[in-house]
Amino acid sequence: MTKPILIVGGGPAGLAAAHSLAAIGQKSILVEKEDILGGAPILSGYAKLVPTGEWAKDAIGGMVERVKNNKLITVKTGTKVQSFTGEPGNFKAELSDGKPVEAASAILCTGFTHFDSVNKPEWGFGTYDDVVTTTQVEQMISSGQGVRCPSDGRTPKRVAILLCVGSRDRQIGREWCSKICCTVSANLAMEIREELPDCHVYIYYMDIRTYGLYETGYYWRSQEEFKVKYIKARIAEVTSDGEKVIVKGEDTLVKRPITIPFDMVVHAIGMDPNVDNLLLSELFNVDLEPHGFIGKGNTYGDLGATSRPGVYVAGSATGPETIDDSIAQAHGAAMSAYAFANDSSIVAAE
Amino acid sequence: MPIHEEHLIRPENIKTKDNLVIDGIDVSGHWSTFIESRVVTDYNEEMEEEIAALPGGEFIHRCWQCGSCTNSCTVNAINPEFNPRYWIYLIRMGMESELLRDKDIIWQCVSCNKCTYACPRDVFPEGVMKATSHWLELKGHTEKSPSMHFDEVFAEQIIETGKIEEGRTIRNFFKRTGQSLTQDWMIQMVKNLISNLPVKLLISMGLANVLRPKTRNWAAAGAAISEYAEEKQEEQREALGLTELVEMAKQETESLESKANS
Repeated sequence: MTKPILIVGGGPAGLAAAHSLAAIGQKSILVEKEDILGGAPILSGYAKLVPTGEWAKDAIGGMVERVKNNKLITVKTGTKVQSFTGEPGNFKAELSDGKPVEAASAILCTGFTHFDSVNKPEWGFGTYDDVVTTTQVEQMISSGQGVRCPSDGRTPKRVAILLCVGSRDRQIGREWCSKICCTVSANLAMEIREELPDCHVYIYYMDIRTYGLYETGYYWRSQEEFKVKYIKARIAEVTSDGEKVIVKGEDTLVKRPITIPFDMVVHAIGMDPNVDNLLLSELFNVDLEPHGFIGKGNTYGDLGATSRPGVYVAGSATGPETIDDSIAQAHGAAMSAYAFANDSSIVAAE
Repeated sequence: MPIHEEHLIRPENIKTKDNLVIDGIDVSGHWSTFIESRVVTDYNEEMEEEIAALPGGEFIHRCWQCGSCTNSCTVNAINPEFNPRYWIYLIRMGMESELLRDKDIIWQCVSCNKCTYACPRDVFPEGVMKATSHWLELKGHTEKSPSMHFDEVFAEQIIETGKIEEGRTIRNFFKRTGQSLTQDWMIQMVKNLISNLPVKLLISMGLANVLRPKTRNWAAAGAAISEYAEEKQEEQREALGLTELVEMAKQETESLESKANS
């Protein structure tokens, strides 16, 4: 029996990697800095997930239970990796609980950080109570409270969702498309319309990127079945008249400035590199790619490889990623890490 | 005051005040002209549903503004102001005042349905144009169009008698739209009809059978055409390797003829 494989991060990717290794009889140690497993979908209280429509607590909750109950997986929550030394095949990590751990290889599933809308002050988040983020709306829905204006608890009659908040914006150093926000916003818009049929939902976009098969189920369905309205406009600023929040911008399809009152404005926030990525990069001696996510070492051969032999990466640690793709990447990285752990000499010789 | 590209500004948005003082500063007169911006300040959320409730407008909510309808539009090719894509957008977003600016153009749709076949989302723009015209009329924004009067006259007659009698339809239509029966175009049409009646044609066909008329001075032209045709046929025979066979056949015929003659 080889040494265990170290998995850092207990979100969808980490949970999938641990389960995948256990399925082929490989021991692993899953280290999670928070007190509970599940990652962003659980910690941020997501509602219904794309593409299945299952509640996050059920879908990801099932993955958590599967890992907790597996004897081949040692779960350490509320724990961080303090140091990571040694050679490929014979790594030594020290954890924040003071215990040393030996590992044959490691998989980083350290995820992302939600964009903080305060960094786009012109869009009113932090200034007006009724300007919220997609994550907050997810929480309103998943908690059972329902979609309400935070200022006075009233039911909104008109909601604006602003896309690309913290994405595709050179002004704030974020050139990437966060990939999921268009689909998530279309999904949220439908959930709002379902709960509040009298509430009109407008989505302000630069482009719509409900890529692949999401086109039918999200972009088209939100318009055809739920009458969600899409307006091509990059919003200039969000202000208030004291009662409502006012969205200002240019409707580019009719070449007119717009100043439209809304009850609630929702920022479709993007995915930033994990705020700890510089620390992680130093700790595990892996390179970051130019945007600040963990860099991939080999795209076509060794799945999930980083710049350091024996250390692998999966999920949104590598860049904006969906939950299902994170899980798929984790299975790929687990396979690579397993092969490395069991025959590191061969992999190293290649 | 000279205004750059003034034609792009709607006249009512150019404001000159004879007597206006703001914060103690006199801003009246020609040299203090204001230009009001065309800001959209609200959406009329009923509009899309109203249009969708009329026949033809049912699928307007599918539109994603690709412009296929406007690109394929017969009327747009002649009148660039006729833009179905733009109106569908105004309706969907509820920009009523903007739509009303074009109320006298929208009815120009000729129902060619090119847009219907071009639309990737099955919005049925031709139907939307109909529904929109209907909406404008029901709301009292436009008069009943002549074609609407015609449809009504037509339908009423069928409902009443179960038959169509064209003369009566036209008469009633003119009556209802306040048009006289002796219009210039109508007189011209009747004249044309008479001069082209098949009676004359039949007579000339009959005479032609007997007299076999010819175009004047035709002989030279006919010979030139025959010569040209023979030339071309010769070229074609050559191209197909038929020249020798033809030559042999010709000689055979000649020798037979000479034998017969001698």
